[in-house]
Amino acid sequence: MTTPTTPVKPSASSWLLVAIAWTLVGIPLAWGIYRTLQTAVKIF
Amino acid sequence: MAGLLAKERIIAGPGFNRWLVPPAALAIHLSIGMAYGLSVFWLPLSRAIGITQPAPGDWKVSTLGWTFTFGIVFLGLSAAVFGRWLERVGPRKAGVAAAFCWGGGFLISALGVYVHNIALLWLGIGIVGGCGLGLGYISPVSTLIKWFPDKRGMATGMAIMGFGGGAMIGSPLANLLINHYATPTSVGVWETFVTLGAIYFVAMLCGAFGYRLPPPDWKPVGWTPPAVQSGLITKRHVHVGQAWRTPQFWQLWVVLCMNVSAGIGVINMASPMIQEVFGGKLIGVAGALKDLVGDQRLQVATIGAGFAALLSLFNIAGRFFWASLSDYIGRKPTYFIFFALGTVLYAAAPSAGKIGNVALFAGIFCIILTMYGGGFATIPAYLADLFGTQHVGAIHGRLLTAWSVAGVLGPVLVNYLREYQLGHGVPAASAYNTTMYILAGMLVVGFFANLSVKPVAEGRYMTDAELAEERRLAHEGAGAR
Repeated sequence: MTTPTTPVKPSASSWLLVAIAWTLVGIPLAWGIYRTLQTAVKIF
Repeated sequence: MAGLLAKERIIAGPGFNRWLVPPAALAIHLSIGMAYGLSVFWLPLSRAIGITQPAPGDWKVSTLGWTFTFGIVFLGLSAAVFGRWLERVGPRKAGVAAAFCWGGGFLISALGVYVHNIALLWLGIGIVGGCGLGLGYISPVSTLIKWFPDKRGMATGMAIMGFGGGAMIGSPLANLLINHYATPTSVGVWETFVTLGAIYFVAMLCGAFGYRLPPPDWKPVGWTPPAVQSGLITKRHVHVGQAWRTPQFWQLWVVLCMNVSAGIGVINMASPMIQEVFGGKLIGVAGALKDLVGDQRLQVATIGAGFAALLSLFNIAGRFFWASLSDYIGRKPTYFIFFALGTVLYAAAPSAGKIGNVALFAGIFCIILTMYGGGFATIPAYLADLFGTQHVGAIHGRLLTAWSVAGVLGPVLVNYLREYQLGHGVPAASAYNTTMYILAGMLVVGFFANLSVKPVAEGRYMTDAELAEERRLAHEGAGAR
């Protein structure tokens, strides 16, 4: 199987998927960073 | 099912957005990153029988700590052993295997806790889970490097940042679950293991099914490879079987081992270290840690935990920052900074402790931890530069044995030296000084290992025929890059 190799710009709708995917991993990560910051501020 | 996981099936179509691949990798790395947060289970597990306090037959924290050691050792071993397999079958199958191992490992450990069998606990998260760590860790590396030829460091840095951040999510989540499940007859850990195992299994499957490979000859729109490349960046490819026979592989092995040993030692002792070095100064009262009483000790311990948390933030920030920076300044100069600046900072830490400057002391270790994380995140791009991209995942897997060694060497060295110093009458506040100088010495070794890295010898690269055969075995098109 061969696939066209000419660079093709990602479609506009794909950026919506990108935003959803990053939100799905970003929310737990942001929660984790927030919880860590809550602990970390105790040093100051 | 096998077809669903096949490498041919995940070749992206035209117009696929490459920015979908890093979150897939992050889903896996954030899950397996909980390996760094396992210590949250040790205290409750140390009273699994006694419930409110340790009883006869309860496990010691030091015994439980072996679970982490097994995990890191098996991470390196499985990455080394299965790296070549991963290159052939593709990242999706490897990601699914990692999900079964890591999620399944939690279930086996849950059974181990339920029947109170330490061997099952070690087997679950330590050995089976450790294999999941290795497979999951290397699964996105070569894929990301192929999708981001223009930003190799940044791309792998994003994924490996997730491994550093996993414990930030997993530790507080585990605490919430333990408190939720705790009853008068259970400390709530086996139930937490089952829940976390299920969550990680699903998250990792989502990540694995999000992986896509670029089509043959793919390159980003508007990007052309630089016509003139540095001698340390090759367009050719070294076979994994050849790579580990080159001096460059072992130089980078030493680079990673020294950088990780020093950093992992600090991570392990961060909380007790700041408490013992500054004692009452942390809360504005005179006296060493041993002179403090009740509530004062509690306040100092809270600050110690805050210091450890602060370091973990800088650890993950460094993974993204340094790996991205290496795309602009080059990998070798990036490691020069790690080792030169790191040596100075480790050597300066005892003085900061001696003059009682908490902010300076904390600042030094925050910078050190960015470079610890940066060392992990930049190494895949360094390997791709030197050995090419064809087998970079497998070569990275073999290099991770350096992490296994460092995972044992760093903590053992730091703990042994501390005990030795204390045993010879050195005050607790000064017990870390010699350790810091030794860690600085290890970075000097890393500095010279990095200095000695030269381009791979011509005879080590695959010929066109060998490369074509490798690509056939890897189910790639003839023109794949």
